[in-house]
Amino acid sequence: MRRRAVLAALAGATALALVAGWASSGRRADRDRPDPGRALPAPVAPAFTPGEPVALGAGRYVSRWAVVRRPAAAHAAPDPSAPVVTRLGLRTPEGTPNPVAVVARRTGADGRPWVRVRLAILPNGSEGWVRRTALGGYNAVRTRLDIDLRRLEATLTRRGRTVLRAPVAIGAPGWETPRGRFYVRNRLSRYRSPTYGPVAFGTSARSPAATDWPAGGYVGIHGTDRPDLVPGRVSHGCIRMRNPDIRALARLMPVGTPVVIG
Amino acid sequence: MTGPSFRDIDRDDALGEAVERLYGCTRAGLLRRAAFGGAAALLATLARPAAAPAAITDLEVLRFGLRFEQLQATFYTQAEEIGTIGDMPPAERRWAQTLGAHERAHVKIIKEVLGPKAEPAPAFDFGEANETPRAFTRTAVAMEDLTVALLGGVTPRVQDRGLTAALLGLLTVEARHAAWARNIAGADPAPHAEDDAMALTAVQAAVDRTNFVVERPRMDGRAAPPFTG
Repeated sequence: MRRRAVLAALAGATALALVAGWASSGRRADRDRPDPGRALPAPVAPAFTPGEPVALGAGRYVSRWAVVRRPAAAHAAPDPSAPVVTRLGLRTPEGTPNPVAVVARRTGADGRPWVRVRLAILPNGSEGWVRRTALGGYNAVRTRLDIDLRRLEATLTRRGRTVLRAPVAIGAPGWETPRGRFYVRNRLSRYRSPTYGPVAFGTSARSPAATDWPAGGYVGIHGTDRPDLVPGRVSHGCIRMRNPDIRALARLMPVGTPVVIG
Repeated sequence: MTGPSFRDIDRDDALGEAVERLYGCTRAGLLRRAAFGGAAALLATLARPAAAPAAITDLEVLRFGLRFEQLQATFYTQAEEIGTIGDMPPAERRWAQTLGAHERAHVKIIKEVLGPKAEPAPAFDFGEANETPRAFTRTAVAMEDLTVALLGGVTPRVQDRGLTAALLGLLTVEARHAAWARNIAGADPAPHAEDDAMALTAVQAAVDRTNFVVERPRMDGRAAPPFTG
């Protein structure tokens, strides 16, 4: 019995020693074997990684405009057989490309895309439909100019926030500045006419009282050589600003900006 | 169906002609030629010393990449803003919005990397190409395929290994875009066993032919104002 216990103890010790030896030899083998993770080089670190996808911002302050790319008729409806409201040329009377404000789009009666645009014609506020192919690429602006005829004040906003406020002079009685929604068509500078100050913006607004005016009586927003008359009701329909204000406006207001007069 | 033909997807039916002229034939013809003559051509190429590749700097690659990403980002962004994407079914809308968000992220990071060396964004005129869901989808397929070909062509040319790694990161995503776009268009997402790479100059020529990149209209004048005063 005692001898059997001794033999059992010896057998157990031998088994433990064998297991321990196998285990240590296994660890040695692991050490000798190359680590697959270390054998392959790590990926090359990229010079840059794009961040998260950029979601589109709120579009409620965006207004769109495009220049006329091909002479075209503006129709009363998106249909080639609809009555013609006016014909659009390539240039403004001032020689710049002719822009139109984009109001809406729709597939026309001919199955092609049409665009409803604001027109620089009388009566003020006229709109018409043109084939998309008549226009160039869309341009977007996030500014808006409000002309307050009662307070004689211009307010420029960008993305809904006011960035400029300045006094204005507007049309005298009988030459009232027209009310409505218009847009900036071009920006003129370096001309020799102190009456208009250093910068003049052309708009799509027209004075019904000044149709015999050169180029048809378009309403401009410009500087002046009579800052003492600003604010006031003194012009033939144009919106006059003091020269420092019109220079500031020229820095902040892109062509295509909607102009709301009221 | 392998996908929309390049010929009928862009504004002036120009992209297809440009791509086919670049390849010297239609894609199918190119593949047929490659199948019969590919092995012999490869052996001949390996036997002679390689011609010096056209020199192109990493800066040029990045600048072109920025312009191309701006083209794509504007295409998707504009389609979303004018309502074309809003007119699409939910699954297609999600696809288009996702691709737009990715392309805008690509523009953002490349602009950051270039810093003051980034050039101003060009003006774009997509005409009718993003005005209807159908035209938009077909143009997107061509644009994504072209992006994959561009990245496949320029990535081996760049010198900086980090830039190579970054472009590969864009390439794989653009390949996913292309496959997703093809699936949306009802085309085979992976129609071939390999994709053709295109040289930067070839992609530039293809883009030029679309007339999508236009001169920005000059709205400033010097005429004496004829306004009512």
